[in-house]
Amino acid sequence: MADRGGKRGQRPKQWVPTLLRIWSYLAVHKRLLTAIFVMTAVSSTLGLLGPYLLGRAIDDFFVPGDYKGLVLLILVLGASYIAQGAAGWLQNFWMIGVAQRTVAKLRADLFDALHRLPIAYFTKRQHGELMSRMTSDIENVSQTLNSSFIQLISSLLTFAGMLGLMIWLSPIMTLITLTIVPVMFAGMRWITNRTGRYFKETQRNTGALNGFVEETLSGQRIVKSFSREHAVIDEFMAKNARLRESAYRAQVYSGFIPKLMNMLNNMSFAIVAGAGGLLTLKGIVSVGIIVTFAEYARQFTRPLNDLANQFNTFLSAVAGAERVFEVIDEQEETVDERGAVPIGQVKGEIVFDNVSFSYEPGVPTIEGASFRAAAGEMIALVGPTGAGKTTIVQLLARFYEPDSGRILIDGRDIRGITRKSLRKAMGFVPQDVFLFEGTIRENIRYGRLDATDEEVEQAAREANAHRFIMKLPHGYDTMLRQDGSGISQGQRQLLAIARMILADPAILVLDEATSSIDTITELHIQEALYRLMAGRTSIVIAHRLNTIRRADRILVLDRGRIIEQGSHEELMALSGFYSSLVRSGQQAAFAGSE
Amino acid sequence: MLKYLKPYRLAAGAALILMLVELVVELWHPVLMARIIDEGILPRDTGAVLRIGAWMTLLALLGFASGIVNSYFAAHVSQGFAFDVRAGMYERVQTFPYAVFSRFSAATLMTRMTSDVTQVQNAVFMSLRVMMRAPLIMAGGLFMALALSVRLGLILLLISPVLFTVLVWMMNRGFKLFQAVQARLDRTNGLLRENLLGMRLIKAMVRYARERERFMQANEDLMTRTISAIRVVELTVPALLMVMNVGILLLLWFGSAEVQAGRAEVGEIVAVVNYAMRIMAAFSMLSWIVTSLARARASAGRITEVLKTEEKETTIRTEGSAEDGRQEQAASPPFAPDEGAEIAFERVTFRYPGMADPALERISFTVRPGQTAAILGATGSGKSSLIQLIPRLFDPDEGAVRIDGRDVRTCDPEWLRAQIGYAPQEVVLFSGTVRDNLLWGKDDATREEIVEAARAAQIHETIMRLPDQYETMLGQKGVNLSGGQKQRLSVARALLRKPRVLLLDDSTSALDAKTEAALLAALKAYRCTILLVTQKISAAMQADVILILEDGRLHAMGTHEELLRTSPLYARIIRSQYGEEAAHHG
Repeated sequence: MADRGGKRGQRPKQWVPTLLRIWSYLAVHKRLLTAIFVMTAVSSTLGLLGPYLLGRAIDDFFVPGDYKGLVLLILVLGASYIAQGAAGWLQNFWMIGVAQRTVAKLRADLFDALHRLPIAYFTKRQHGELMSRMTSDIENVSQTLNSSFIQLISSLLTFAGMLGLMIWLSPIMTLITLTIVPVMFAGMRWITNRTGRYFKETQRNTGALNGFVEETLSGQRIVKSFSREHAVIDEFMAKNARLRESAYRAQVYSGFIPKLMNMLNNMSFAIVAGAGGLLTLKGIVSVGIIVTFAEYARQFTRPLNDLANQFNTFLSAVAGAERVFEVIDEQEETVDERGAVPIGQVKGEIVFDNVSFSYEPGVPTIEGASFRAAAGEMIALVGPTGAGKTTIVQLLARFYEPDSGRILIDGRDIRGITRKSLRKAMGFVPQDVFLFEGTIRENIRYGRLDATDEEVEQAAREANAHRFIMKLPHGYDTMLRQDGSGISQGQRQLLAIARMILADPAILVLDEATSSIDTITELHIQEALYRLMAGRTSIVIAHRLNTIRRADRILVLDRGRIIEQGSHEELMALSGFYSSLVRSGQQAAFAGSE
Repeated sequence: MLKYLKPYRLAAGAALILMLVELVVELWHPVLMARIIDEGILPRDTGAVLRIGAWMTLLALLGFASGIVNSYFAAHVSQGFAFDVRAGMYERVQTFPYAVFSRFSAATLMTRMTSDVTQVQNAVFMSLRVMMRAPLIMAGGLFMALALSVRLGLILLLISPVLFTVLVWMMNRGFKLFQAVQARLDRTNGLLRENLLGMRLIKAMVRYARERERFMQANEDLMTRTISAIRVVELTVPALLMVMNVGILLLLWFGSAEVQAGRAEVGEIVAVVNYAMRIMAAFSMLSWIVTSLARARASAGRITEVLKTEEKETTIRTEGSAEDGRQEQAASPPFAPDEGAEIAFERVTFRYPGMADPALERISFTVRPGQTAAILGATGSGKSSLIQLIPRLFDPDEGAVRIDGRDVRTCDPEWLRAQIGYAPQEVVLFSGTVRDNLLWGKDDATREEIVEAARAAQIHETIMRLPDQYETMLGQKGVNLSGGQKQRLSVARALLRKPRVLLLDDSTSALDAKTEAALLAALKAYRCTILLVTQKISAAMQADVILILEDGRLHAMGTHEELLRTSPLYARIIRSQYGEEAAHHG
């Protein structure tokens, strides 16, 4: 039985661990949970006491027409109502806190997990899809925790209480009443086998839709200028329809649950009345018992009914939680090797020793790269696009791990160095500058968080960014938007350079850092850059000759191999790949318009 | 928003009727129960027991059947509704002028399209299944109580306005609070997106701690807002129940007086108390309903905000043209696909929304069909801004941009853009294969056309070296390609449509000189008009005309030779690239 269920989509296997895991999040708040439990017990009991006292009021005072004790009873009843209200209030108050704190923790854990993942993970996932886990999936968990937990406790308590009472009154009738329970479970099982699947599918489809929306909105510039509005709308519709289908199924099937419960509820009524009636005729039970049981049968199934009603949100919560845990459990960026130590003071010697690497198995990106940069040297990486220049510096920062070979800094294998300290020792200025939503000042300060305003402005001056910043409406306090409107690509690069001047790293990596900056401005910041490079090892990727020329050593890459290395003069004398590169650039320059 | 429900009104009506059937079954059952006791069990009539028992079973099945069918209808209505709303939003968003996107960030639009729609959809689903039940039970109970005893029923009736007022207050308060919650969700979502986009930088700079702090603040904020929103609703309910309970106590108290005075029967008191209890039970259901309603209302507001954003890419009507659809065609005459278009700027001034200084000021120039114009200028001098005005990503504040003599604002955007191939400075590629990405340029391109464009963009050979060639999957930002490869794909995409106007916004910056030269040479085979933003003199020199921008103004325009003679700025640019001797070379 369990096996067959298992084949059906691993529901039972996945279910319990996910629930236990959610529980482990809740369990942190043990004290509060205990308090909530007590309060729920109190309010459930008082909830039963109220009607009982009310019944007594009728039986003892109204029916005999004797109202002497009524005042007292009303007072007692009033007190019980107040107590019930207070308990209910407290239980809700605490539960909401616990639930939302749990959800916040879940969000934080997901955030942490994302930051532990290797860069390669993000190249295969859409941002919108990951964001969907943070919002839509966690939202599902949140909605369930708010209400279901209390419901669960109070339902179970009521259920247990009713069961005890029933057995005490008449075991036979209890048995008859319980006949519907197996049917109930079979039905639930049938339904959950389906809903579980569809809920998961719904969440997946939501993620896909989200991913598509994020992508097309980020690329709206292209969507518009290529008049692809209709095409993206069509694709959106397809994804939208898929979402509708799975959500429709999930909702229909999960909608069965309360209906099934309702019917079983009514059936149990009929069974108790019918079977009970026959038993009375045979004189086995009394009429009074049947009347009581009929009422109890209702009371008895109501908590189950309530639970079943919660089941929808419950199932979608499990589906959501599963997707969140999926990311949290993802293989993290390999933890630092055992015995890895912080890098400490860096002199800056870099050695690549026969390093090979491929992004895709079988398609080598770097093949047997070996070179040495003495401390304080400036190294230029030159070569056609896609030759592996950026990959070299990414390997140095351990964004990726080489398949073979070693990378040494100051003679130490970087695998023996903690990632954090390694990256702290290096400063990157990439081609695609990333700016955060925030002020210009905050963005520059990202280089060194404790820099003073003066230091920030000084760095901006050196990077030749001060002038354009002062022209912005609020100077350094101008807010930058995510889409970066109002500030050009070149200006972004200037900001990135300012950021790096502030960071003052031991090893400097400039990856096409000035590609969008005009050459006159480049000349201006060149001095600052050279000052920055002086005394520290730097790796520069560039196409512009006058940037490269001053390098102590030039490495020429082609298709993942270092094919030439040496100074500008040496390489020109070699009349190889490099000299032809340089000449083709110059030829273009002096050919004039044809 | 409600108009989205209209197509489903039949199904919704059916769902509501089925819900009523269910309700009737539920209410009928106790009556039958009483009969089975009175007519069957007490008189010991087996036949009656079985007959009525069978009736009850039948009814239960009927209730079940209508419940199941209701599930289908309710799910159909709510999911169809959600589908239509999402579709409506996305379609609307696609008609936004580009500038509107600085108002609605991608993150907020995403939250609105998923989270907010889900909230509203849930409310619709609930209202078709249970929401009506609580009010119906309450109204019914009140009515029955009044019918039984006007005086006692009055007590309940008097409490009602109090409860109602509290409910309305709760609803309004919850609405505002949930609005705040959704806004915080936007913020958290936006931060996460930013982190995903900037992951490399964050890792490289080891700024995880700072990012975490920022995220935690947003997370905390979201949490406290959610707590206070839910608390308002859920904590009001116990208070409401208290009020109801007080009502029951009053019933007992006055009831006893009534009975003593002989104005009421004990049975009536019992019945009225019974109805009061039912009303109470319905009340506890209300908290749930009100929460989802308040939430849905907040979300509906956010959705409507997007749907109601009327700004569209407007087309200015040329004078004398009628206000009908046919005029669109008049504005979109057929164009010769294989010929360059004339591009002219007439005293164009443009500033970005919210910026004081203009990005472009009184720019005038003309590029003749088939010519190549290079645009040079310092960082931030307005090169990209100028390019963006041509496909109408933005419209100028003053002056006009003309294509073949026609103001681009009078052109149908689709018609206009069909003639333009644009490779922006920041490359955008989409998830999908290399071919998928290239096909953006032209849907029905043949394999030969694709290869031709890829060859011209100097990317064909690289593609052939990829594991699955043209079928290789690219990540969202084209991440497994190098910067230069992405740029060339972007150029190939623009070339594929054989545009009349090719806009290359520094699209070769990451290419080495050799590849760049080959690419520019290959462009000569295309007969289009080319606007080429570049930093490199080597590229600019091959153009027919060179434009130099300085601080948003057109500093100079002319051929290489002319500029050498007339423009000191041009000479300086050359010096910056080739040293002193080069400036005198030409």
